[in-house]
Amino acid sequence: MTEQLYTVASDSETTGEDKSQMSFPDVAIGIDIGTSNCSVAVWTGHQVELLKNTRNQKGMRSYVMFKDDSLSAGVTGGATREHGHEERDILSGSAIFNMKRLIGRMDTDEVVQASKSLPFLVQTLGIGVRPFIAALVNNMWRSTTPEEVLAIFLLELKALVEMHLKHPVRNAVLTIPVAFSRFQQTRIERACAMAGLHVLRLMPEPTAIALLYAQQQQQLLHDNMGSGIEKIALIFNMGAGYCDAAVAATAGGVSQIRALSGSTVGGEDILQNVMRHLMPDFDSLYAGQTMDRIKSIGLLRMATQDAIHKLATQEHVEINVDLGAGHKVSKILDRGEFEKVNQSIFEKCEGIIKQCLADAKLTPEDINDVILVGGCSRIPKIRSVVLGLCKKDDSYSGIDPLEAAVSGAALEGAIASGVSDPSGSLDLLTIQATPMNLGIRADGGNFAAIIPRNTAVPARRDMLFTTTHDNQTEALIAVYEGEGNQAEDNHLLGYFKITGIPAAAKGTVEINVCMDIDAGNVLRVFAGVVKPQGQAVPPFIEVRMPTLDDGHGWCGQALAKMYGSTLDLATIPKKLHP
Amino acid sequence: MVGFFSLCSSTHYYHLQLRNGSVQYELIRPIKYRPRSIIRCCSTTRGKAREDYYQVLGVTVNSTPQEIKEAYRKLQKRHHPDIAGYKGHDYTLLLNEAYKVLMRNSPRNAGASGRGFGRGFTGNGECVHHAGETFAMDDVLGSAHVEVQFGDQEQKIQVAVESCPVNCIHWVMSEELAVLEFLARPQQKEAHGVFGGGWERPRDVFAAANNFTKRLQREEQQDMARQQRYNNGKKK
Repeated sequence: MTEQLYTVASDSETTGEDKSQMSFPDVAIGIDIGTSNCSVAVWTGHQVELLKNTRNQKGMRSYVMFKDDSLSAGVTGGATREHGHEERDILSGSAIFNMKRLIGRMDTDEVVQASKSLPFLVQTLGIGVRPFIAALVNNMWRSTTPEEVLAIFLLELKALVEMHLKHPVRNAVLTIPVAFSRFQQTRIERACAMAGLHVLRLMPEPTAIALLYAQQQQQLLHDNMGSGIEKIALIFNMGAGYCDAAVAATAGGVSQIRALSGSTVGGEDILQNVMRHLMPDFDSLYAGQTMDRIKSIGLLRMATQDAIHKLATQEHVEINVDLGAGHKVSKILDRGEFEKVNQSIFEKCEGIIKQCLADAKLTPEDINDVILVGGCSRIPKIRSVVLGLCKKDDSYSGIDPLEAAVSGAALEGAIASGVSDPSGSLDLLTIQATPMNLGIRADGGNFAAIIPRNTAVPARRDMLFTTTHDNQTEALIAVYEGEGNQAEDNHLLGYFKITGIPAAAKGTVEINVCMDIDAGNVLRVFAGVVKPQGQAVPPFIEVRMPTLDDGHGWCGQALAKMYGSTLDLATIPKKLHP
Repeated sequence: MVGFFSLCSSTHYYHLQLRNGSVQYELIRPIKYRPRSIIRCCSTTRGKAREDYYQVLGVTVNSTPQEIKEAYRKLQKRHHPDIAGYKGHDYTLLLNEAYKVLMRNSPRNAGASGRGFGRGFTGNGECVHHAGETFAMDDVLGSAHVEVQFGDQEQKIQVAVESCPVNCIHWVMSEELAVLEFLARPQQKEAHGVFGGGWERPRDVFAAANNFTKRLQREEQQDMARQQRYNNGKKK
């Protein structure tokens, strides 16, 4: 295979003089920005290496500290060792964390609502706009946005990588949760752009792990020529913010994603459940954020987090913490109680795996390996739930639960940058699948899926629609993404109008809507009139999605209010399709 | 405007696929919107014959799902945009579609016999049931055939087409209809003593039609050439 240098065509090339850049093929780095921890890895020419920060950590706490005029992110964890940030400082209200759960969400989102109990300020108006977030600086709330916080963090991360590699870095592969909407993905891209990084790929976390698994299987094959049969792995990844599952079929270095599913449920939810369990009047006590309440929440949070970690290995744990202002928690929490409190979360995990298996049309017996990754995979109940559903005694042991995703991202970065490795350890490929249905609004408020979920990427599908009124000359194409049957239950990605439709009786005009997803996961929508044909029809329209910016919650309602059903479309039963 | 088959559509499709990027417009205006008519038996999905999907993956119609998977992976490794760059996009789309169709239609239990579908003329008359004006049972051959083009409403025909258990009804261009009709009729085989003889129909009526038209053209050209020579001769 010829070695290709990947070049970014779009960005203006201002740093042309860099000699180091010429000698180094611009290999994309792999970044895993987790809700609580973050790591970065690079392809060193023959293997993937995780980079350590100045404190010798591979997994760095994800937060940005706002202090006076200076900002510092969790990558360095404070400028010097003696000024290092303690967990106490992070929870003092001056640091923003959990950006991954907040990014690209509206203030009506329940995840945003649940984030109100975090020590920093999350203010919502409940009208479908971006929440207002702020950090405490000199006893004042200073406003910021999740994108900005993420960009600051990434900037520091980039500096760390450049220090290690001694040449500038431009491209990156980031892992994202399966549950991320396309709108959220654009927010991540924007944060990267602010930090001077070009996003080569956004990879769902389990698919990054699948790639790593494919590499390991391939190496096994080389070592002791284990037969090249197909192996099917179920990957379950649960971190602090999100939970994903995937079924991947692997053979010959190619991992094919058969099904993906995910949800916004993670360690943070478990933590909050336990906190509420320990302090039954949590919500009334901490209703408004005052200085002492913030401190008190911080203490409770630390104690709870510590207890949950201990419960991974112990049967019960004693919690003794003085929260100040006469509040005190002293309690012995045992594992049974912990599991009961978080029952609904474990059920959600179960649901995700069941759906994933059903979508892949597989039974537990078909699964060869179960890969458990992410911080929450250490919780015994999670392990038993996943292994129980897959009817396995133990999980796959060759993968580090905290480093897998970032290693996979770095591998993908090397592959997508066109690096080839003589020893064949990069002779890999992931065939991605779409995590959510993509379609448009049709037949009233219904959602017509054009590309169903779990379609292999790149994908292109089209569908025919027709007008719903006589002499309808305009039609609105509103593109949605999600699992709901009603368009309103899904995420609106964008909309555009087809104008100049030839006047005809309703149901006679045929409008083709085609969706195309390329390997970089860019979605393009094409639409136009295909019947009647001739010179009288308008040209086709190509739109890159998502087109919406902030306040996308409003757009659907505004469109409905303005146009009602006058621009509606109806589906045509599919023709000639077995 | 009457029709019969659609092999032409698939070649047309490739053609568009291979030119790239800007062809969207034509791409999503596939053959099915052209003037067309019905109908006959063999196997298409939206104007593309299964045979073409086999060709895309480079496997035979007798391949097992395992072989199809392997071929698919091998080709993906060569053409996936991650490896081949953006120019691999269109080809990978085609691969994905071929894989989807072939895997969907080849049930696991068909792996043993190796043939999950039959190109054939079984005695199943589902289509006759749904669109009786258009299709009729042929008792001699044991299969249904088109009696009247567009004998029923298009909708009914659709149902019939979709109900065909062996996917053997095709939309074809009207020009080719006559040739295909002729070739699909059983012909008497040449007999060599006690061997051979009897009646047969071309196994692949499309290929046969192709050959047939080619032969016609060649003969026409030869005729023309002969005519010309004759004319030239007269001039002298």
